Amino acid sequence: MKRYIVKRLLLIFLTLFGLITVVFLISRVAPGDPARLAAGPDATDEMVEVMRKEFGLDRPVVVQYLSYFKGLASGNLGRSIRTRHNVIDDLIRFFPATLELTIFSLLLAVVLAIPLGVLCAVYRDRFLDHAARVFSVSGMALPMFWLALMLQLFLALKFDFLPLGGRLGLLTEPPAKITHLYLVDSLITGNWAVFKDALLHILLPAIVLCFPALASIIRVNRAEMLEVLNRDFIVSVRAHGVSKVRIIGQYALKNALIPTMTMIGLRYGWMLGGTILVETVFDWPGIGLYAVQSAVYSDFQPIMGVTLLIGINFMLANLIIDLIYGVLDPRVRYE
Amino acid sequence: MSSKKWCLTLVAIVGIIFLFNGLGQALEIRDGKKILVYGARQPAPNIDPSQYYDWSTRMLQQSLYDALLKYVGSPPQVIPWLATKWEVSPDAKVWTFNLVENAKFHNGDPVTAEAVKFSFERTLKIKKGPAWMLLDVLDPSGIKVVDDYTIQFTLNKPYAPFETVLPWWYVMNPKVVMAHEKEGDMGQEWMKDGDAGSGPFKQRRWEHGVLYELEAVADYWRGWENPNHIDGYIFKLIREASSQRIAIQKGECDIVEGISPEDFDLVAKMPGIYVSNDPGLTTFGIKMNNQKGYTKDINIRKAISYAFDYDSLIKIYNGNAILEDSPFPIGLKGHVSLKDKMYRQDLQKAKEYMKKAGHPDGGFELEYVYVQGLEEERKMGLVLIDNLGKLGIKVKMVPLTWPNMVARGSKMDTSPDMIAIFATPVFNDPDVVAYQYHKNSWGKYYGTAHYNNAEVWKLTEQARVIADFDERMKYYEKIQNMIMDDAPEIFGMQYNRRWAFRDYVQGFVFCPMRFTGEIDMYPIYIQK
Repeated sequence: MKRYIVKRLLLIFLTLFGLITVVFLISRVAPGDPARLAAGPDATDEMVEVMRKEFGLDRPVVVQYLSYFKGLASGNLGRSIRTRHNVIDDLIRFFPATLELTIFSLLLAVVLAIPLGVLCAVYRDRFLDHAARVFSVSGMALPMFWLALMLQLFLALKFDFLPLGGRLGLLTEPPAKITHLYLVDSLITGNWAVFKDALLHILLPAIVLCFPALASIIRVNRAEMLEVLNRDFIVSVRAHGVSKVRIIGQYALKNALIPTMTMIGLRYGWMLGGTILVETVFDWPGIGLYAVQSAVYSDFQPIMGVTLLIGINFMLANLIIDLIYGVLDPRVRYE
Repeated sequence: MSSKKWCLTLVAIVGIIFLFNGLGQALEIRDGKKILVYGARQPAPNIDPSQYYDWSTRMLQQSLYDALLKYVGSPPQVIPWLATKWEVSPDAKVWTFNLVENAKFHNGDPVTAEAVKFSFERTLKIKKGPAWMLLDVLDPSGIKVVDDYTIQFTLNKPYAPFETVLPWWYVMNPKVVMAHEKEGDMGQEWMKDGDAGSGPFKQRRWEHGVLYELEAVADYWRGWENPNHIDGYIFKLIREASSQRIAIQKGECDIVEGISPEDFDLVAKMPGIYVSNDPGLTTFGIKMNNQKGYTKDINIRKAISYAFDYDSLIKIYNGNAILEDSPFPIGLKGHVSLKDKMYRQDLQKAKEYMKKAGHPDGGFELEYVYVQGLEEERKMGLVLIDNLGKLGIKVKMVPLTWPNMVARGSKMDTSPDMIAIFATPVFNDPDVVAYQYHKNSWGKYYGTAHYNNAEVWKLTEQARVIADFDERMKYYEKIQNMIMDDAPEIFGMQYNRRWAFRDYVQGFVFCPMRFTGEIDMYPIYIQK
């Protein structure tokens, strides 16, 4: 097991090295002059050169590449030519918002989808199963952007149930920064007013973000449950008089969860990288918005930083999922 | 589970949500103070007046800092602000300003001529942000403190528009800036988010990517004209146009700047909301490559100019725009109306010019490049396809990101045949637009036409050094006529600048010299 984890971690390092190299090369060959853009539309050539020199863009690409790795080793991800902020500071500022939204949405999806998937399989071709099918197909087919606007229109404007956007109310001061996740920090500090405010603000974007994941997890879990429920060992357990609830909970669900876990792992990565639409509509100050704005301005260093961060997250999440397989199914061996 | 149980569960969920009801409210009140909420699309990642300026940054800078002079009203006027009066030598080289004596920075330090000198020197040395406006005409050595409240600028060469540039050069507190200097950076690192100003507002909360909150300086040195002035405002980022519309409707914002033309018309009819609608100075034109390809031929450019349906531009903005009648925007100082000469759709004339160019039936393709995702520019491309099709010219629409557009337009060999450009004059002087047609502007986004007329360049250089404005006007009249005759671009329109306000927000004064969504918050007050 330990050997497997070390091997996977080494593989992650190698993959990240390749990822950074590819993104570095792509960003350097893309058209556009970041120094000119950052200097402003009216800047003189002299001003553009000042900017180029300050951000090291006057050096050969190989030197810039090596210098990036040198900085990386000391935790320096460079500076944004657009905002002039250190990339690491920007990531610390924006990533927790995305992480909080992603984890909350994923939890929401898992908590709702797994029981629903089980119920759909158990009550196959009954009202609930049909309703869940319609829900799943809509979840995968509805454009997220449209859904977000509709929810805003009805739940925020028409019925005034939930706030329109943002992480907190305008006059609410953020909680003391411990994990930078507002829900967690407000819980730790016992700041219930902020917790309630943060919870209300996260609901709408989380519903929108979890919708496609919810739909696909329900479908996968239902299909797996149906397959497992028809296996011989279930018939045998049933013949031994084991209760229905125990058969489903202890024997069937555990076996059906392995493909579902794969789906959850993939969805985590997808959600992390795909929050941009939700972040835009709900003004969620996350990393998706930061990445897009940086890409639009050919701002290399933040693009590299975001790629690195999302890459690490995605790979670690998949490693964790792979390790969970062993817990769910003792037959799985790590070599 | 039965259908009845499912319905009960659903009702329970809705009930729980109802418990959280009642979130929307208009105008934030904290400890009895009125905090206005301004919904804006664009963040302000760096508010250092020496490093950065765009509309959102400048709106915050205008609140935090003061300048020697200030733009107000429409048509825009330059009025004294930190300066009480000023004198200029007959050759427009020596400019002397007397300062008010009661102005104070936010930490209580007086605003003196020494602070003005420091601020100008800092911007000129750092060579970022607004430095380009004066870099060619002012050296740090040309700035002299005459006494505590008198400052003199001696320019390298005469520059008549000098005073019109000054409202964008803010005065910073040298003590505060230099106290935060690191490795000789003149405080650049700290000033990104720092406040060293004397303006009517000071910083309260700075949450990048979320909001910026400013609070009114109770004892602002210039005082507050209205007793109901706002006690502060929150510059809240709402990036999506539809979300801004919902925010103003719901009362989560008191002012919004970025909703679609259709939605502005819609919210204007709603109770409790009014929409301002003022002619702006931003021009939209389709620049043609004057140096390469088919559009190098003046006859082709004129044929295109006569084939274009100008009224469609107005329709795209639902009537909230006016057509340009000169290369210089209507409302800009020095603008001369050339209404009778201006190109308007005339297919007969267009075909005559096609004949003159040796392409009576067209038979070629032109590229139209526009900003990806900008719906108005895309619609204008569709108009081009329709209009130029009548001349046998095919139009290929190419959406690009702004950096890629600028990169392509910067060189004459790669600059597209036609490119959609919005341009806003930065200061109120004809030189600012005339210079966009100068050779020195090639490579910049507004120089993508690579306009080539040495006579126009010479006249522009001569006009900017003449002190007497009436004398300068003779040059600008000629320049406007000559540019018009050369048809370097399709001279398009100026769209109206609009904001939606809750009806209790009063005191808004429109000034077209401010950029896109920028508002001066100083005169705003609440009438409930």
